[in-house]
Amino acid sequence: MFEKTLIPVSYGERPEELRKIGKILMSLGSKSICLYHVIEAGSLFRGSDISWLTILQEILKELGLEVEVRLGSDHIASAIAEAALQEGVDEIYMRTKRHWHLRTVLLGSVSRDILRLSDVPVLVHKVRPKLPDVGGVITRDDLIILYATDFAEASVRPIPYLMDFKGAWCHILHVRGRMADPFAEEIEKRRLQEKLMALEVELRPYYGRVTSEQKIGDPASGVLHVSDQISADIIVLGRKKPAFFSAPMGETAERIVTSSRASIFLVP
Amino acid sequence: MWNEYLKRESVFLLSAGVILFFIALGIFNPALLELVSSTIHAGILDYFSWLYLISAFFFLLFSVSIALSRFGTIKLGYDAERPQYSFFGWVAMLFAAGMGIGLIFWGVSEPLLHFLQPPPFLEPYSPEAAAFAMRYAFFHWGIHPWAIYTIVSLSIAYFSFRRGMPALISSCFYPVLGDRIYGMAGKLVDVLAVFATVFGTATSLGFGALQIHAGFTHLYGLSSAISVTIGIIVIATVLFMASAILGVEKGVQLLSKINIIIATVLLLFILMLGSTPYILNIFTSTFGGYINNLIDLSFQSYPFAGYEWSRDWTVFYWAWWISWSPFVGLFIARISRGRTIREFVLTVLSVPTLFTFIWFSVFGGSALYLELEKGVDLASVAGEDVSLALFAFFEHYPLSGLLSLIVILLLIVFFVTSADSATVVLGSLTSGGSMIVPMYKKVIWGLSLSTVAIVLLLTGGLDALQMMAITAAFPFMIVMVILCYTLWIGLSQEKDRMEE
Repeated sequence: MFEKTLIPVSYGERPEELRKIGKILMSLGSKSICLYHVIEAGSLFRGSDISWLTILQEILKELGLEVEVRLGSDHIASAIAEAALQEGVDEIYMRTKRHWHLRTVLLGSVSRDILRLSDVPVLVHKVRPKLPDVGGVITRDDLIILYATDFAEASVRPIPYLMDFKGAWCHILHVRGRMADPFAEEIEKRRLQEKLMALEVELRPYYGRVTSEQKIGDPASGVLHVSDQISADIIVLGRKKPAFFSAPMGETAERIVTSSRASIFLVP
Repeated sequence: MWNEYLKRESVFLLSAGVILFFIALGIFNPALLELVSSTIHAGILDYFSWLYLISAFFFLLFSVSIALSRFGTIKLGYDAERPQYSFFGWVAMLFAAGMGIGLIFWGVSEPLLHFLQPPPFLEPYSPEAAAFAMRYAFFHWGIHPWAIYTIVSLSIAYFSFRRGMPALISSCFYPVLGDRIYGMAGKLVDVLAVFATVFGTATSLGFGALQIHAGFTHLYGLSSAISVTIGIIVIATVLFMASAILGVEKGVQLLSKINIIIATVLLLFILMLGSTPYILNIFTSTFGGYINNLIDLSFQSYPFAGYEWSRDWTVFYWAWWISWSPFVGLFIARISRGRTIREFVLTVLSVPTLFTFIWFSVFGGSALYLELEKGVDLASVAGEDVSLALFAFFEHYPLSGLLSLIVILLLIVFFVTSADSATVVLGSLTSGGSMIVPMYKKVIWGLSLSTVAIVLLLTGGLDALQMMAITAAFPFMIVMVILCYTLWIGLSQEKDRMEE
């Protein structure tokens, strides 16, 4: 399912870092990479030498990946989202950028736009999992996945991807507001427990360990808290259709994507 | 066993302890009590008077939104339940619980006082001051107080009748506190409700006693010493305690209905014998002005001129209604079982409000008619002794002695029924929401209400009463904002489930 990945690249991309990224993507099952560069209409680098793209391509090829380079223009996020569809990729990979010496967990406006516009899943690589050192490798055996679900339609869509991630541990988390009275609360708790157990059974063949938990509180805070508690590498989320007044990709997803230290796999 | 008792009765012990401490301080060191309460009061007014205005408008907006939204069809009770009381009986009880003594006390004197002492930007005794006086009387006694009551009563009614929880304020906090409503946090919410009820009711009882005293002084030349007011409170206490202990609930209901009928007859009497077209014009004009200026009135604190006036009147009233709201809210909730949210909110907001407008137009309007058209100086009487204005007003009507006696009787009955209901509500609030209240609790709460009223009158009279109402209401105002949130959660969950 993660066979072909689109990586948006820009001038100044560091080859060593791309090598590490290639390793991670290979460990997730990627065989083919599409390096995609967008040249903005008013950019100073328009028409300049793009041989740096060839260097990046060679580095990934050395790892054994099939690599193709594509160029686009106009609005960056829209071009990337459109290219992802045209190239038939399985996911878009984005790495959060360094700011000075701090590895920021914040996203830039382009990344946010891609998350909002993309019709294919987006993997936003943040602090966790750490990029492997030179010569090191990342294996799925260490991977800890946190799957945040509210059992709505948007939350069901990531399940096939979850089965493909495989890994050491998948923790299923459901965070909700408290019901209005103790009786309704008890019924809801039991109903959700049954659903979580069924999901555990469904995912058990794909992970060394599958657990589940239901929490009461603010969904975004709950997911971020549990993610840090279990040192999750990737948080898997479904992207909801935003309400009229809410944040562009849905209030909860927006907050998790912005503040998480774990990587995010957002399924549209 | 002792531990279990402490745990079970913690709301009662904690709230009774706080009230007892307050009473002891008032008896043994009134100067310190005055210093403490006036400092807190000044602090609240200096920093948060604006919050009372915003909150009251928010409560109004929230109530109307709930009524007109998809939640309006939800019934306060099980789906097949029918209302327990007839529409007239229900509205009569709403009115008696919500206003009662206050309306008689302020009906004549409030418009006169605004006419005599308007904010600095208006000329006293001017026609502009008269229009301003009537508009503000409508505003202070209009739709906002009922919106405040609606929030508390709707929350209690929904969570107890629809969700099967005890009739306690803390029950409404389940969506945010969960099982902690049975712990310290929930108990603190109930203690705040008890605290607000005791001081809110004591304020009303103080007003009632002052006016009964003024009536007797006016009619029979009774001494105006404070000891006589205290004597009146003691006698009324014996009456309402007997009523509460004997459990003459049906008798109290009957008295409430009789009171409303007498009040209506009195109203019609003044309307017929006064200048009827003048009164009806005042009603029409003030009603239009009120509707036209509702938003401005709601947020107007006159920061550049008249700030003191706004604090002394509007903020006091909002605080007073908030401090009454746990008691009135519980009572209104109890009598509203079986009605839909839309019917409940729209009736509570409109019918008693309209009756109040008519009351103020008739009494306040007639008093202003005497002032402006007949040259009778009633305003200065109100300025000297606010509780005397009504009796001075009656002197310009036939059978003034009888009218004064009827009003005194009305006040006594309102006093007894209000204090009786408050005693039962306080007992219920401190007994886990149960309606079977042990006798010792009824005695303690009945005595507490009267003693607090006496202590407040002894330490500072009318000002002290107003000060304590504002202070006690402040924490409960925050409780009410949270009630709006939890009610919204409860209703949303129910509707979502139904739509699924």
